[in-house]
Amino acid sequence: MTVTLRRILLVEDNEVNRNMLTRRLERAGHSVITAADGAIALDMMLKERPALVLMDMNLPVKDGWTACREAQADPEIRDIPIIALTAHAMEEDRARALEAGCADFATKPVDFPALLTVIAAAIDANI
Amino acid sequence: MSTDIDQPGAWARRILSSAEPFLAATTRPTVAIEPPTDADVLALKEGLTRISELLDTPSSDVNHDLLNVIGAIRGYAEMLQEDIALLHPALGQTLPALLSSVGSTPPAADALVGTPPPVPTQKEAGVILAVDDMPENRELISRLLSRAGHTVISAESGEEALELLETRGVDVMLLDLMMPGIGGAEVLKKMKEHEGLRATPVIMISGRQDMDQIITCIQAGADDYLLKPFNPVLLQARISAGIERKRWHDREEDYRHQLERNERFIRRTFGRYLSDDIVEQLLEAPEGLELGGDLREVTIMMSDICGFTSLAEHLPPTQVVSLLNRYFEAMTAIIFEAEGTIDEFLGDAILAVFGAPRRLDDDPERAVRCALAMREAMEAVNAANALADLPALSQRIALNTGTVIAGNIGSEQRAKYGCVGHAMNVTSRIEGQAAVNEILIAEATRQLLPDGVFRLGEPREIFAKGIEDSILTYPVLGLR
Repeated sequence: MTVTLRRILLVEDNEVNRNMLTRRLERAGHSVITAADGAIALDMMLKERPALVLMDMNLPVKDGWTACREAQADPEIRDIPIIALTAHAMEEDRARALEAGCADFATKPVDFPALLTVIAAAIDANI
Repeated sequence: MSTDIDQPGAWARRILSSAEPFLAATTRPTVAIEPPTDADVLALKEGLTRISELLDTPSSDVNHDLLNVIGAIRGYAEMLQEDIALLHPALGQTLPALLSSVGSTPPAADALVGTPPPVPTQKEAGVILAVDDMPENRELISRLLSRAGHTVISAESGEEALELLETRGVDVMLLDLMMPGIGGAEVLKKMKEHEGLRATPVIMISGRQDMDQIITCIQAGADDYLLKPFNPVLLQARISAGIERKRWHDREEDYRHQLERNERFIRRTFGRYLSDDIVEQLLEAPEGLELGGDLREVTIMMSDICGFTSLAEHLPPTQVVSLLNRYFEAMTAIIFEAEGTIDEFLGDAILAVFGAPRRLDDDPERAVRCALAMREAMEAVNAANALADLPALSQRIALNTGTVIAGNIGSEQRAKYGCVGHAMNVTSRIEGQAAVNEILIAEATRQLLPDGVFRLGEPREIFAKGIEDSILTYPVLGLR
């Protein structure tokens, strides 16, 4: 079974964490573009058409929940799978992310091998 | 679920303190790291700085920020561990400590020798146990997962599931919450009580209305949950993540066993020559076991039993062995007590060093005290010999101080901790010239002794075969 490598949009406002995730995803063979808030993320989804979005839910300008719901409402980009990154402690965030239309979620701090699996599954399912 | 997250401040402080050895190792020039990896080291350090800044200036959002930075530190530490921990023993020790305080998977035992568990490959197929009382659900799960290459076995009750778990190697279990007989929560509880089944990942299946019970199951150790009707993508992703988790666990188990074997080996090999605390020290820094050595100043002690060869000729072999064992046992205890390292037993001779593998300031003084204690102990050894109808023994001891090469000498197949060098040969020559029950020390050792502690006899000049200059020696008479 092969892993499909496509362009991923990483939405994360924390610079240290964003750099780290970008580097790890690139090392795993993915191509990465980044956004630091929900509004820019929606804009980039429209223009860049990434294969998948990794979205932190706690974002400035427009939070992840709103961005997800708006993406779901837009027929142009509704098919791009979004994986929500939620804080470890908040169990109810998981259910909320699925309700907002996310394909899946991962908890922070990120278990990276598990995240790669979730990414591969979501991209494969979407082809 | 970590309780640390309830107090991110305490967590962050623990991370900072466990990062200290890492910072020390990378700040010292002992670890040279090439680009692009040095950027990761810098990023990790930057993360640590950010943590201390956040701790110093708490705000409303401090927990969110801390979580992000901690996540970043974990990511960089994992990358460094994958890339370079093996090349740099210092990092090989400090990174796992840092990672375990960040709340990652590698156990603290990672610090020991061995190959770290390899990163599991993506999307491995596994053996899935589907437990559901409804045949159509079992059929659906089986179809979806078989198509992805997994082997699916199924059980229609909790009782059957527990039986299958015991007999089949299961990677992930899908467990229906509501079943007649033993329900899902009860099966989960029984698994968590069972040593061999505890690590098998469990994904609970239920309807939306049972959320409360699902949360109870997750608190009781279930790894995840899925709501009926299934979303096939979610099902696949959960299963893959579960298999991954199981593989990591299995690898960790293997690795732990490997480490235990290594530890047993080190204890067995070195326990004979080194005192327990030095073995502990080796276990903590196993890179010291590499072949090769370093130059260092040690005080060398050589002792033997006077006239042993002719004594041995007149005794049956079993008596010779018990005579030697009693003697060696007494002397070994005294040498270990004085923190000496026994380099070798040669027939009836003992070769020991003070100052390797660990150097202390009073090595020469401890060596002389040790020799006096050994001489004194001969009385007890001979009393025991007399009881067993064995002849009395007398020994002679020589001490010398000089620079030797100390380290693991030999081949990959057979190596031992030992010392080589001219000073070793000189000691052997001095010992050859010592009188019965005499402790003879070289001038080099005498110079390093503190004043007024020992009573020494008249100096004696020794000329030895193969050594150009004469050697000045002193007999040790006793303590002042």
